Amino acid sequence: MAYYLGLLQTIGIHTLLGLSAYVLLLTGQLSLAQVGFFAIGAYISGILTVIFEYHIVPGLFVGALAGGFFAFLVGFPALRIKGLMLVVATIAFSEIVRLFFFNLNWRVMVNGVEVGPDSTQGFREIRFYAANGWDALDVVLFIWLFVTVVMAMLWWLDRVRAGATLRAVGADELAAQSSGVNIVAVKVSAMTCGGVIAGLAGGLYAHSATYVDHLTFSVLLATFAVAYPILGGLSSVFGTLIAVIFIQGILIEGMRFLGDWRSMLFGLLIIVAMNFRPAGLLDGSVVARIRRILGRANGSDRGRHA
Amino acid sequence: MAIDLVDVVQAIIDGLLFGSTYALIGLGFTLIFGAMHKLNMAYAASAIAGAYVGLAVILMSGLPVVLTFLLGPVASGVIGFGIYVTCFRYMPATNVLAPLMASIGALFFIDEMIIHATAGSPLSFPAIMDDVFLEVGEYGFRGDLLFVLATSLIAMLVLLYVLFSTRLGLATRAVSQQAVAAELCGIASHRTNAKTFVITGVLGGLAGCMAAAAVGVISPLLTVPITVKGLIVTVIGGLGSIPGAIVAGFAVGGFENLFLLLFGVNQRDIYVFLLLFVFLVFRPNGLFGRANRRD
Repeated sequence: MAYYLGLLQTIGIHTLLGLSAYVLLLTGQLSLAQVGFFAIGAYISGILTVIFEYHIVPGLFVGALAGGFFAFLVGFPALRIKGLMLVVATIAFSEIVRLFFFNLNWRVMVNGVEVGPDSTQGFREIRFYAANGWDALDVVLFIWLFVTVVMAMLWWLDRVRAGATLRAVGADELAAQSSGVNIVAVKVSAMTCGGVIAGLAGGLYAHSATYVDHLTFSVLLATFAVAYPILGGLSSVFGTLIAVIFIQGILIEGMRFLGDWRSMLFGLLIIVAMNFRPAGLLDGSVVARIRRILGRANGSDRGRHA
Repeated sequence: MAIDLVDVVQAIIDGLLFGSTYALIGLGFTLIFGAMHKLNMAYAASAIAGAYVGLAVILMSGLPVVLTFLLGPVASGVIGFGIYVTCFRYMPATNVLAPLMASIGALFFIDEMIIHATAGSPLSFPAIMDDVFLEVGEYGFRGDLLFVLATSLIAMLVLLYVLFSTRLGLATRAVSQQAVAAELCGIASHRTNAKTFVITGVLGGLAGCMAAAAVGVISPLLTVPITVKGLIVTVIGGLGSIPGAIVAGFAVGGFENLFLLLFGVNQRDIYVFLLLFVFLVFRPNGLFGRANRRD
């Protein structure tokens, strides 16, 4: 049982990480910096709960804000350049963050124990859940509360003007700009939103894992973050969730019998999926079909006209 | 620790010599970008994989060591063709994200294949001319790095000849300027792109062998750093610019070694990445890039 609860925690955290990349992908920007914001959120919320003995909720809140703040800072220089250059800039940013934490040494005595990030040894003492008597189920519910809220907000975003603006920039920047959309503002806002979500995910990750080090925040994790929404499709937030469940639940955990051949499957899966479904699993036509089926079942007006 | 001028100049010299491998990797990225307006993220992985294949053949057959530097590039060219077919050939032309993502998948696939084949442990890689040491006044030139530089320069000259003096080069440049117009003139754009991938693959394989020979070991851990450095070279030089990639390759090599001397191995790369951000802020199109490029 504990195993499945752990898996649910991982799926929840990775869903948040995927959704942070999803927001930015809606504007047509591929960012590998999400893992950088994730690392910032993880370290800052960990430092707050461990060294400054905060409660986890303000700790996560500050971690998420820090993620958003750095996303905002990176957004300006990085979004002046377009598309493929952004990929390079964001990889470099993630690596800077990783190397910063690789070099960060901040050990303090708290209640007679030396705690804090210890450069290459990692940051080992993030035990808020255990210290406050939360069991694995409480943690799962806590994480999925955030996942539900974020997914609901993004789902709602797709139904209001702001979401349409994001997608307009993603579909054709020039056309959006011609219709009076301030594309830099839109992209920087999307980047900041993504940074907040990634920072939140990082904080949750640090407290679930109780241990973070620089190796966690690799280019591989950055790839996972963008792979979820791209494999799942950008037409619906549920695509990201399905992709996370498939990759983390089935590919990584379900196929343990394959041993180290399994790690090759991730790369192979992306290649195959991109060849057969370049717009992701839940692309526009699939979403439209699902809406039609749901609409027919309900007999609602919306289904008939969709 | 006092650092005097001799150390600084010596570090820059070594860096510039090693930078020729970065220039080759950057050239590969920039050529593919120029031809298709897409990034091949698996490029450095194919370079390292080629070097591995070259090394494996030599170790198993007992052929002379020098042949590694011939077999590696050939293997890398074949892998480059494989990447073109699996990640680029059948993708919609307007979709930039799908091939990018697929090639990242290929990067990790190749990486994991190497880890699986070698059980994750690094192998020692033969160096050429490593017993030679040229001394000029206070400064020394490592023989193996001079070999790297010489080979890289020859490869660049051959590449420039192919691009600007052969029919294939003409076709490549035509496709990169206007793919539709090139097709209307009877150029098979898919076949031309495939050839570009093979050529860049060979170039990358050479760079992979050189980098491994200069470092002395080859390990799957090299792929991601070389990918990142190659991309930085490409961006600093200007996406799609051939002279830019060459100049930026040497520059990044020199700066990297200087930062190594000044800040130590743990912080070296932070400063290389900050250098990239300096360029992104002040010269977002790179050293030689054209402004207003729509990518």
